[in-house]
Amino acid sequence: MIKIQIDGREREVAEGITILDALKNEGIEVPTMCFLENTEHFPTCMVCMVKDQKSNKFVPSCSTLVASGMDIISNDEEVVEARRTSLELLLSDHVGDCEAPCQTNCPAFMDIPLMNRLLAMGKFDEALRVVKKDIALPAVLGRICPAPCERACRRRNIDEPVSICTLKRYAADHDLNHQSSFLPEKEALNGKKIGIIGTGPAGLSAAYFLLQKGYQCTLYDKNPLAGGALRYAVPDDRLPKDVLDQEIALIEQLGAVFKMNQELPENALETLRKDFDGIIVATGEDNADFDGLKKKNRSFVTERNTHKTGIDGVLAIGSAIKPGRVAIRAVAHGKEAALAMDQYLSGAKIVGEVRMFNSRFGKMIQEEYQDFMMEADKGPRIETEGVKGFSLEEVKKEALRCMHCDCREMHNCKLRIYSDQYKANQKRFFPKERAPVRKIFKNKPVVYEPEKCIKCGICVKITTIHKEELGLTYIGKGFDVEVSVPFDSSRVNALEKTTILCAEKCPTGALALKEKD
Amino acid sequence: MSEEQNITLKEIIQVQGQSRKSVIPILQAIQEKYNYLPENLLKGVCEQTDITPDLIMGVASFYSQFRLQPAGEHIIKVCTGTACHVKGAELVYDAFGRALHLDPGKHTDKEGHYTLEKVNCLGCCTLAPVVQIDDVTYGHVGIEDTNTVIKSFENSHSSSANKLLPAHDATKTLQGEIRIGLGSCCVASGSEEVKNSVEVTVLENELDVNMKGVGCVGMCHQVPLLEIIPEGKEAVLYSKVQPADVKMIINRHFRPQGIWARLKSSVYNWVEDIQTDRSWEGVDQFELDVREKHVSSFLGRQVPIATEYRGAIDPLDIGEYKYRFGFKGIAKCLKEYTPEQVIEKVRESGLRGRGGAGFPTGIKWQTFRDQNSELKYIICNGDEGDPGAFMDRMLLESYPYRIIEGMTIAAYATGATKGYFYIRAEYPLAVKRIREALSIAKEQGYIGDNILNSGLSFDIEIFEGAGAFICGEETAMIASIEGNRGFPKLRPPYPVENGLWNNPTLVNNTETFAQIPFIARNGLDQYTNHGTSNSKGTKVFALAGKINRGGLIEVPMGITIREIIEDIGGGVPDGKKFKAVQIGGPSGGCVPEWLSNTPVDYQSLKEVGAMMGSGGLVVLDDTDCMVDIARYFLSFTQSESCGKCTFCRVGTKRMLDIMNGICSGKGKPKDLVELENLANWTKKGSLCGLGQTAPNPILSTLTYFRDEYEAHIHGKCPTGKCQDLIKYTIEDNCIGCTKCAQNCPVGAIPFAPYEIHVIDQEKCIQCDGCRQVCPEDAVLVK
Repeated sequence: MIKIQIDGREREVAEGITILDALKNEGIEVPTMCFLENTEHFPTCMVCMVKDQKSNKFVPSCSTLVASGMDIISNDEEVVEARRTSLELLLSDHVGDCEAPCQTNCPAFMDIPLMNRLLAMGKFDEALRVVKKDIALPAVLGRICPAPCERACRRRNIDEPVSICTLKRYAADHDLNHQSSFLPEKEALNGKKIGIIGTGPAGLSAAYFLLQKGYQCTLYDKNPLAGGALRYAVPDDRLPKDVLDQEIALIEQLGAVFKMNQELPENALETLRKDFDGIIVATGEDNADFDGLKKKNRSFVTERNTHKTGIDGVLAIGSAIKPGRVAIRAVAHGKEAALAMDQYLSGAKIVGEVRMFNSRFGKMIQEEYQDFMMEADKGPRIETEGVKGFSLEEVKKEALRCMHCDCREMHNCKLRIYSDQYKANQKRFFPKERAPVRKIFKNKPVVYEPEKCIKCGICVKITTIHKEELGLTYIGKGFDVEVSVPFDSSRVNALEKTTILCAEKCPTGALALKEKD
Repeated sequence: MSEEQNITLKEIIQVQGQSRKSVIPILQAIQEKYNYLPENLLKGVCEQTDITPDLIMGVASFYSQFRLQPAGEHIIKVCTGTACHVKGAELVYDAFGRALHLDPGKHTDKEGHYTLEKVNCLGCCTLAPVVQIDDVTYGHVGIEDTNTVIKSFENSHSSSANKLLPAHDATKTLQGEIRIGLGSCCVASGSEEVKNSVEVTVLENELDVNMKGVGCVGMCHQVPLLEIIPEGKEAVLYSKVQPADVKMIINRHFRPQGIWARLKSSVYNWVEDIQTDRSWEGVDQFELDVREKHVSSFLGRQVPIATEYRGAIDPLDIGEYKYRFGFKGIAKCLKEYTPEQVIEKVRESGLRGRGGAGFPTGIKWQTFRDQNSELKYIICNGDEGDPGAFMDRMLLESYPYRIIEGMTIAAYATGATKGYFYIRAEYPLAVKRIREALSIAKEQGYIGDNILNSGLSFDIEIFEGAGAFICGEETAMIASIEGNRGFPKLRPPYPVENGLWNNPTLVNNTETFAQIPFIARNGLDQYTNHGTSNSKGTKVFALAGKINRGGLIEVPMGITIREIIEDIGGGVPDGKKFKAVQIGGPSGGCVPEWLSNTPVDYQSLKEVGAMMGSGGLVVLDDTDCMVDIARYFLSFTQSESCGKCTFCRVGTKRMLDIMNGICSGKGKPKDLVELENLANWTKKGSLCGLGQTAPNPILSTLTYFRDEYEAHIHGKCPTGKCQDLIKYTIEDNCIGCTKCAQNCPVGAIPFAPYEIHVIDQEKCIQCDGCRQVCPEDAVLVK
């Protein structure tokens, strides 16, 4: 046993172990990416760096053995900066999207690519669940959404965007046609009550998400029927009212209580605040005034993300805070407000919806079209006539036009997780001109995206250990080094035994199993 | 694979072996034969040996020596070392590209005759800019010389006749000795031709003289050198000798032997003199008296220890080495000292590693000696990759026995069982000399079994590097000898504990070994007399760049930078102002003029932000752009990074992005902050010396020349070096001689006799050609 200092505390540690292990034994988590247990150490990523105050040096903890007298600092500001800088350097050479642009451009942040893939496989119920995770009124939106997602769709660069909106409508309609439509799971009632003023898309959406969290929701509206602008401003030929009715009915089934024909006075908030733990104002574009709520240009003033108003426990959303009657935005606001309200009432910090770190590479360039199209149906966008919607064949074919722009490893990519944790800025060192993104499908069942590779060396190590006939190797050196199959890299099945293992151990989405969903 | 290829491959494998460690020698042999590495042969290697595809491709793509694409019949290598860089190597490279009519992005001409490449440093810095075609080196190559060089190569290529001189006939009276410098610089400046000419003259005149090729004298600014020592008379040194001068020089000192020869000589020489229009006057012009002021100041301040007897010994003549006290050091050690005592002596001498970091040699040896292992290796680090440094090359070429002796002493002191020379691929002459020296030394019992009947057994082998700067780092060098990519390893464990094939391994620099015999032979005092309290002895430097008398110098530690530049180097030429000196190559820094009283020792150099490094001293004058110099070094380290660790692989690249932005006028004030920040993190976050020191040139220039960075950010390159920030214009004093128009390679200057010429800025490629040919200095860079 030898004595070392760990964050100022003296500790006895076994000789011959790494600093990483010594820290682990202390319950200190250190981020690692290139580290592969039970193999020879080959530190490359430098994300696991700690500071040894004795030698006044930064060392990779995964490979440095403890030595008597070391004075290790595992997590001070400087160490955090070291890790953040290494992550930012890696990110500057990591060209790829975590989330697909369609999703990031969707105000409700719906997982569009996943919906597309499920639809393409004919898994309509599963697709609907993906949709309803973020969108309360998909059948409605499937008809009237201005589809900002389609504006961001990368397929648009090549021919025309995937018809996302109509695909979503198919999933929603398919569900509404069931005997019993999908209802999300509800947490047990928590005894708290929320008053929602307005039954337009924003109010309905807020109710939909709050109900799932175990809140009781009462919705007030001056009109006789729920739906707000959806009912009173959208013409029937665009949105048949029975569709709206069906989706409202589902929210009612979920537990919403509607109090219609309620013209609320200006002091209503004060009164309602006594009966409810929280209030959400979703009164739409022609909104009335309420005491205590500040207005600017006829809209309520709120805080971004959290939708907090000046009054404690009162949030405002939808066209009431931003005119324009964009239904998808209103629905997104409802989801965000539900989250903020839940944070407020459960005593957590009110931050609203926090999105995870997201790597993006910007506009797709011509050299990339071919690789992106490898996974997609090459056919033209299928247009539907009027309000008909897709047929069964059409929906599958159209969904297949999706190019799978989202990263297959976006939920377990270490680079993303640590970048999020250490608040890395992808743009800091990102070059003005980036490398073209490639997707290589030759080694089934994995997809290799070299531009996502951080050159950690894990896959090279694995193929060597398992004595692959061709294996993987580093080609070139320095910044241009690339992990590749020796000789003719077009050879199919260059990896025979280790494909899946390599994909599993890859810390990013550079090597990933093709079929994951 | 063709039958012929198959046979070749089998032969290569037969010679080089079948194990994984043979991969680099096998690849070198294949490339030697085919000028590149044909893929089918590489696959063949994998089928016939233990070498796997991942290994062979990983290695072949790592080392810059290897070509995976077919190349032309001949390779033109333009040296882009520091000295060449500051003298316009990039422009020369571009000029060759135009001379060969290369298509954009292509490096081989359409006929497949020539492939154009850049090479890091050929170690002929005093002759910058230097170009090598195959194994012929050309010095002082200007942008207008491209066709001359190619023609000269084609001529020399078709006729190469080597004459052999008869050995000295013992029955005759020896008339004297003729010494010719045959270091790489000398050879590059034409000493081979001078040698041929000497041989012809000696044969024709039936002279009975000793002809001797000697190693580097260090006076590389005067090459080719010819020294005549008539028996019993004083030596006369001739500098910058041309083959045509040889006959006159020789005739001045030696009478032809035999009546026929004398007659023939007088007549022929007379006739030839008239024909070639050269007179006797020419000779004096070349004569260099050692007592003459500039020669004596060049040599006078120097203390030759590693370079003892320079210019006087034939590198491969072991008899002469012995005559000059060679192998006395090892003999003394074997006879008088125990191994512990030898280490003690080395420790007391204060000798520190001459490779750059300056670790005390005695302590390293002691740790190595303490290792219990059946196999213990010694490696002589001759992988001198720094652009602007050529000390190791010169020592290896000129004093092979001294280094061998140093290694043998180390082996005795530490119990090593086997030695390696790791020599850079770009130094073929050094490899050749060491190979021959090893074979002669072995024959005579100075290496091998039972050395000098002492029972000590120690053999040495050569490993040729394959072109990777990083392999100068000891763990990367070991990886390379083991037959891998040159990835450095995390230390500890240090190689002295766990190195080559997991055995204890002592890696010392060439110069370190070259100092050992002196210490062993002469005792401590003579060594510790020189130097300072923390840096003992002498250091060899390669003095090059903007300096009157560049060359290889060996000076006592503690001498100031100013003394080196002014006294030894004779100051900056052409009336320019001394601005800074770059010390330590890509790991070092720029020391500005106002700090030139800094003594040259490990500590002082570190304090001013430079480092000893391996010993490159490149002098810069007021026309050199410090931002460009910093960018130059960074682009070197960036391209030489092995690519393993994030901070070095990506950090140096991003710093270079910022530097490129600054040099092209796209820099912003905040770039300097980010640059400094990233430089500091790259230092802290890199595992090996390359990454840890790569930011030094940036940091030192940011410290001393920040105003130049700021000027670039404001869109101005004060010295007019950065192409994107400058414009060539022709002033009113143009006399309309049309030389610029004739010389412009892109037709950017319309032909206008007797009129003021104008440069079309759209077409101008800033090759500098017009400025160089203008007799009126009418071309200005703004």
